[in-house]
Amino acid sequence: MNRINEKFAELKQKQEKGLIGFIMAGQPDFQTGVDCARTLEDAGCDILEIGVPYSDPIADGDVIEKAHFKGVEQGMNMSQALEFMSAIRDKCALPLVMFSYFNPIFRRGMPKFVQELKSAGGSAAIIPDIPLEERVRYESDDLDIIPMLAPSSNADRISQTDKAARSFIYCVSVAGVTGIRNQLPDLQDYLQRVRANTTHPLAVGFGISSPEQIIALKDYVDALVVGSVLVKTIEQYAEEKTLLFRELNNTMSSLKKAAR
Amino acid sequence: MNPNKNGYYGEFGGRYVPETLMPVLDELADYYLKIKDDPEFVQELANYMEHYVGRPSGLYYAERLTKSLGGAKIYLKREDLNHTGSHKINNTIAQALLAKRMGKTRIIAETGAGQHGVATATAAAVLGLSCAVYMGAVDIERQKLNVFRMQALNAEVIPVYKGSQTLKEAIDEAFRDYIANADDTYYLIGSVVGPHPYPLMVRDFQSVIGKESRQQILNMEGKMPACVIACVGGGSNAMGIFHDFTNDPVRLIGVEAGGKGLDGPYHSATLNCGSPGVLHGALSTVLQDEEGQILETHSVSAGLDYPGVGPEHSYLKNIGRVEYTSADDKETLDAFMTLSRLEGIIPALESAHAVAHAIKLAPSLSPDDCIIVNLSGRGDKDAETVASILKGVGI
Repeated sequence: MNRINEKFAELKQKQEKGLIGFIMAGQPDFQTGVDCARTLEDAGCDILEIGVPYSDPIADGDVIEKAHFKGVEQGMNMSQALEFMSAIRDKCALPLVMFSYFNPIFRRGMPKFVQELKSAGGSAAIIPDIPLEERVRYESDDLDIIPMLAPSSNADRISQTDKAARSFIYCVSVAGVTGIRNQLPDLQDYLQRVRANTTHPLAVGFGISSPEQIIALKDYVDALVVGSVLVKTIEQYAEEKTLLFRELNNTMSSLKKAAR
Repeated sequence: MNPNKNGYYGEFGGRYVPETLMPVLDELADYYLKIKDDPEFVQELANYMEHYVGRPSGLYYAERLTKSLGGAKIYLKREDLNHTGSHKINNTIAQALLAKRMGKTRIIAETGAGQHGVATATAAAVLGLSCAVYMGAVDIERQKLNVFRMQALNAEVIPVYKGSQTLKEAIDEAFRDYIANADDTYYLIGSVVGPHPYPLMVRDFQSVIGKESRQQILNMEGKMPACVIACVGGGSNAMGIFHDFTNDPVRLIGVEAGGKGLDGPYHSATLNCGSPGVLHGALSTVLQDEEGQILETHSVSAGLDYPGVGPEHSYLKNIGRVEYTSADDKETLDAFMTLSRLEGIIPALESAHAVAHAIKLAPSLSPDDCIIVNLSGRGDKDAETVASILKGVGI
């Protein structure tokens, strides 16, 4: 059983919801980024997504997009993101998931990527721009590509997605890009529809940044993803590390508390 | 050729988009296949093509240019004479009609040179749809005339200040809008790029160029041309003119933007210098680094300044059916002036790339042969760009 499945089993046993964090590889710099991961784990983060900076992040809103461009400008790429993941693996026990647009993986070659991800201690990959129809062309027994669903997915796609899943399913909350949203639409029907047609744990993400939102959603899912609020904190306190770690710790603690 | 059900031309194409868009693209593909041969739709489109766009466009024998070169006869397919000044309108009217039939009320588009933006704004205006056009801030600066035209046509021009601030980022931004608003919004893609069914639809709607050219050259010369030449950015005017010639014994030549030379980074010659990759929803050829980051490009013409190309072009290159070459900025500017002075036709800088290659090629062919060059657009929009480059060299 891999780390992600163990984590969901553990959460179930403790009867609490998981908190999945997202940070960009190498932000604000390589070493501080690794320390951020450690801070997040200590504050209760259950699973960590590591974003690979990419030149054309079409599924991302302003906050994460800005971090993509900054990373690309600094020369961050898949090779360095793998090193970054490996450095986090040395310091943390939580499951690590590589979040990358498809082209950097395609360019590398899927078999090589699978091997390197494994060596870096990654448990899975999230690739926002390969839907079910394309992933069959690249699937490998050795890689858990977390499948995604959207409010527009019909019953047929939901059950196909469940078949493709190995650990959990990522339910995108809204038709739109990532980012902090004050208001989310009513997701109850959508998430219950997914629940009724799937067997795997469900995570919901996009737009979630506050304990109130987590409390409103947690009954329908097994985990919640927060990204932009962490990326924004890292950007904001890039120059003041003590403050940065304190803020990250506060944010993650209060989010995780809401998920318990 | 037609793609398979997942939109693949050989190994290229597909739909590399977030899950949110998949049901939307499925619906679009189904709707398109249902309506494309529907007599009522066909008739409505034909009507607009004839009376609004001004089709068929002429096939003009460029006699003075031909004589000055001393080789094959050069014919120009006059897409520059279409309403709004380029081939782009063939596609925008057709897709906007389709969007309206699907019940969409809002059209969004991206534009580089502004020609597709203007053509989209025009189609939206005449069909009573609302319209927003994403455009890189750099392109807004170098294509002011087209920005004004779009605004006059009641389109909202949304500047994109990200990355290289050109076409690539404008497409990224249009995709984000589409992902968020697909319920009432139709994304009117302007080239044979993007996820299936866009490359197929745009090619089909542009294939009127090749259909007419083929008939016209047979009427005028009684035989097939030796070759057909078109510029290639995303590749819509080229696919449009090539498509009906693919089964004929005719050389098909695509001309990419050589910029400041293919040996450096300042060009947009994707098929000449790129490698397989995924960009804007399709697996095709892209200009990228070793790590799969998409590269910034350069061309004197905003419409060719793009690091990707349509998947069917990648396929046609792979099977050896189409040759892809390039013309650099200088050759293009020379062709721009030559055509203006010898024929009284000021070409778009994009189309001037194709003219530049015809100028290179014609002298090596027999005077019994003929060449068709797709003159995809007119050059009014480029006046300021060309004037500022040529200032000081004394034109």
